Amino acid sequence: MTTEPAAPEAQPGIWETEIGTVTALRRVLHVAPELRRGIWVTVVLAALGTAIALVVPIIVQVLVDTELLAGEAIDMRNVIERGAVALGAMALAMIVRRAALVRLAVRAAAGLSELRVRAFAHIHDLSLLYVQSERRGALVSRVTSDITAIQDFMEWGGVGMLVGTAQALLAILAMLVYRWQLALFVVGAAAIYTLLLIWFQNILRRGHDRVRQRVGITLGTMSEAISGLSTIRAYGAEDQTMDRVSEALDSQARVEIRTAWFGAMLFSSAELFAGLITAGVVAIGVATPIADATSAGTLIAFLFLVNLLVEPLQTLVETLEQAQAAAAGIRRILNVLDTPTEIPNPGGTELLLPAGPLALDLESVSYRYPGGRDDVVVDVSLQIAPGKRIAVVGKTGSGKSTFAKLVTRLLEPQGGEICVGGIPIDHVGFSELRNRVGFVPQEGFLFDASVADNIRYGQVDATDAVVAAACHDLGLTEWVAGLPGGLATIAGERGSQLSAGERQLVALVRAWISQPDLLVLDEATSAVDAALEVRLRNAMQAATAGRTSVTIAHRLSTAEAADEVLVFDRGRLVERGSHRELLRAGGTYAALHADWAAGATAAS
Amino acid sequence: MLRRGLRLIRHLVALHPVAYALGALGATAYVSAIVAAAVVIGNVTDDLIIPVLDAGTDPAGLVWPALFAIAGVALWKAIGITFRRAGAGWLQSRCQADVRRRLIDYMLRLELRWHQHRGVGDLLAVADSDAGSATWILAPLPYATGTLLLLVGTATLILLIDPMLAVIAVIALALIIAIDVRGSWLTFGMFESIQRRRGEVARVVHESFDGALTVKALGREQFETNRLRIASEALRDDLTRIGTVWAGYRVLVEGALSAVIVILLVFGAARIGAGAMTGGELVTIAYLFSLLTIPVRVVGFVLWDLAHSSASWTRVQHVYDSAQLVEYGQLLPRSGGTGAAVTTSPVAFAYEEEQILRDVEMPIDAGRTVAIVGPTGSGKSTIALLLARLWDPSSGVIRLDDRDLRDFARAALPGEVGFVSQETFVFDDTVRANIAVGAYPTPEAVATASRLARAHEFIEQLPHGYDTMLGERGTTLSGGQRQRVALARALVRLPRLLILDDATSSVDASVEAEILAALKEAELPSTIVIVAYRRSSILLADEVIYVEDGRVAGRGRHEDLLAIPGYAEILEAYEEQDGEAAGVAP
Repeated sequence: MTTEPAAPEAQPGIWETEIGTVTALRRVLHVAPELRRGIWVTVVLAALGTAIALVVPIIVQVLVDTELLAGEAIDMRNVIERGAVALGAMALAMIVRRAALVRLAVRAAAGLSELRVRAFAHIHDLSLLYVQSERRGALVSRVTSDITAIQDFMEWGGVGMLVGTAQALLAILAMLVYRWQLALFVVGAAAIYTLLLIWFQNILRRGHDRVRQRVGITLGTMSEAISGLSTIRAYGAEDQTMDRVSEALDSQARVEIRTAWFGAMLFSSAELFAGLITAGVVAIGVATPIADATSAGTLIAFLFLVNLLVEPLQTLVETLEQAQAAAAGIRRILNVLDTPTEIPNPGGTELLLPAGPLALDLESVSYRYPGGRDDVVVDVSLQIAPGKRIAVVGKTGSGKSTFAKLVTRLLEPQGGEICVGGIPIDHVGFSELRNRVGFVPQEGFLFDASVADNIRYGQVDATDAVVAAACHDLGLTEWVAGLPGGLATIAGERGSQLSAGERQLVALVRAWISQPDLLVLDEATSAVDAALEVRLRNAMQAATAGRTSVTIAHRLSTAEAADEVLVFDRGRLVERGSHRELLRAGGTYAALHADWAAGATAAS
Repeated sequence: MLRRGLRLIRHLVALHPVAYALGALGATAYVSAIVAAAVVIGNVTDDLIIPVLDAGTDPAGLVWPALFAIAGVALWKAIGITFRRAGAGWLQSRCQADVRRRLIDYMLRLELRWHQHRGVGDLLAVADSDAGSATWILAPLPYATGTLLLLVGTATLILLIDPMLAVIAVIALALIIAIDVRGSWLTFGMFESIQRRRGEVARVVHESFDGALTVKALGREQFETNRLRIASEALRDDLTRIGTVWAGYRVLVEGALSAVIVILLVFGAARIGAGAMTGGELVTIAYLFSLLTIPVRVVGFVLWDLAHSSASWTRVQHVYDSAQLVEYGQLLPRSGGTGAAVTTSPVAFAYEEEQILRDVEMPIDAGRTVAIVGPTGSGKSTIALLLARLWDPSSGVIRLDDRDLRDFARAALPGEVGFVSQETFVFDDTVRANIAVGAYPTPEAVATASRLARAHEFIEQLPHGYDTMLGERGTTLSGGQRQRVALARALVRLPRLLILDDATSSVDASVEAEILAALKEAELPSTIVIVAYRRSSILLADEVIYVEDGRVAGRGRHEDLLAIPGYAEILEAYEEQDGEAAGVAP
């Protein structure tokens, strides 16, 4: 993605990715400025707050050297005074530390919320959201689980890393002040251990990757067993399914346990290492020339300081894992934000469409889906006069639904030009275009809200009376009255409380209520019951009256009612004319028609 | 809650006691090493550091034992930690797999009615996240066991050194743990609300992205972004709140431990002055306390996990308690190349207090092809589901060649009955496995069935033919292709009763016509029941059953049924829908 070299301290494996971790962090701070605000104050506060940990070794040293081993009777007044100073310092450090943690939590929450909203808005501008619907799940996780991974890191691992680093640095500082020779030994040994740790951590990370992969497989087999139950039962595949689930569960557990052993050993190595350093400090402190100028209190303080240094290293093993997950999440989000909007709102002066019914002109328009081998719409040129009622027919895969999305600029052609009302469609501002051009998709998607609110989605300021009037105008008053709660009926998740035909009815009113001057309809294919069929047809007739309309027809009755029929075959416009003309011509349309007729005539 | 939590722990530990024992043993080794380390450091202080650095004693002969003691204790501690963590991981992984296995097995036996009631997403959430978090408590469990021992060990050691300091230490530890527990409780309540907020954010995102085409077509991107902003900022505010509270408790607990060390040092100095203890003993106590930071906090973590796991476990248990298992008999499928006859006593069916079928009697002679026709909601699809025994009637009996469907053994009925519905399910597997599922047909049989279902041609053109992977990680089929695969799936087993419920709705009209013609020509050794949504499929039948309002309202040849007004009306609508212009055609 970027040519920026990794940071000099980079270790292979941890930082190597398309976007370097450092770059990713810098960029995310840029994209979500809330995260950046006052970050240095937070770091300084966190460092100061870490001083709590240093108080203990220092007071131990002071008490041992000035009181316990001073050779005289212990002066309790002195001891109590020093203890009081230590407690006071500690209280101060606690307040500062709390402030740092709170700042971190507040900034992280605010920044990540901002990042989520921004990514969400950007994803809505990407046409791949509806072009490649199979990638939708991945896009959902960009604004949900990826953000959560970053959040978890900032709240737990990130705080630990920050505080831990500060603690380690302060411990080293204290050691240097006490006895720099001993400090060098400790720091040198800790550095070697850190390198080893990072190397082994890479192995551990691969283990965790394998676990994650297994988790995905397990989830897949379990969801198959649950969502495919009626098929499984209808075909007696229960045992077969259970074997698959069981196998997936067992291999996941095996991989997890293997990784747990390795992780446990790696984690515990820090203790072993702390022991070795402690032993080394004692040996050097008492049995080398360094001993001459070392007080007993200093050496004892060192024993405490070694623990303060090693403790953060130990948690580093676990934090790095979280950090990598967070960095991966950041990278994925940045990749989404970097994906250019394929269909941009025209910059500069946005043109307005002429008033009244709109004409539609296409000049050698071609379209190919991303990654597809062939054009699905091939070199289509046509003119539609304002106010015409057009039907588009063709077999599945003939490109007729793609055509509908092209003339509404939900897709952008790779070749040719589309003009609406004589103006190139990509020069019309989105708000103007969406106001004037209505589109009813094949699957009427409804939100989990009332039917009225779903209709209002087409015109936000419509009052209940306006919504009811719209239903009335399309001849749906009776249908609305038949709903359990009238217009207040809740549509349910994805409109599940209504039938497919009813969903399309609502989608039709929704597109129509803003009175578009060009209405593009993609008819539903699913079977609709007879009474509803009549309603739908009448509503479509009413909705298309007085405006230009293009209906992707799956029912030949729609074609028959149209002023003109466009016939698509394998992406090309092969025939156009009235229903009668086309039948007489005996071409593609007539053949298509015969398919249906065959079923009907066999009866009589 | 606590009692339920302890029951959960007992239940899970009993599944894999060896893993728990390993972890607990490791934890015991670990805590004994902590106490030992403190004692060693104290002794090293008294016997080596102070004599050498303060009194100028020659270190020779004293250094090596000290080094071995320090390193030995560290090794002992490391081994303890390894076993503690690995044991905990083992216990958790195995228990998680067991809980999930049992759940899925149970779900596979539950009545479909129950599945329908709960919803796929909900059930998957139980099997995935609830079964996962029900076992969270196992991760810190061995550590927690060890911590209890550690607290006892700490108290005992300090008591042995000096009773007065022991009293201070015990009171201080009790206080710190109390603070920690309180913090855990408080944040746990908030955490639940955060989970709800996260769910709300996910719901908005899912819905909005699913409806992307509608959002875009109506130009409502800004509206949707605002909707998400509201949900996201509610989450942000909760996270800020929990972060603030949690920061306070965390700092308080960590600071308090250090403060206690200072207090102990001050009192200890007085005790040393009084000659009650040595400097090394005081170092032991201080060192031990400095090692307690993490173990003490484990108590809070455990309570947190316990609350969380208990809540999840309740949801898991709920699935077990629902107890609507399908009951099976002993009958095995009868093979033989003839269609089966269906007979029934009057059958009724109700779903969630709604009476869907009443007094339905529908004998079907062996080898006949029968179409079931009726308006939406008349119950015709329900009849299909009952015939395939995907649901059981509320009352009445359905028999296949005089055998009650409920007397068939599990997975035996599909040996005689093939069922294809409008909604096809494709498994994450090869095309061949998708057709073969549950049976063991030869490759030739698979190809023959596919030809009959008009699927062979497009399958051959897939990248790897019949071995092409389908499903989530494989090739995506169109709706019509999926339906044809599903049809082949039913045909490959030469069912004695074939049930088609709007099974070709997504198939192109001309292909559907071909399929129906092929089915007719093939003279399958099957009785065929077609729930018809199109005129063309009605015309395939020898006989039509007309269903209205949950009852059989007519039965006979298509031409004769046209006398029933409701039937004629539907047919008219189908006719318009299918090929209104048939009459116009030359």
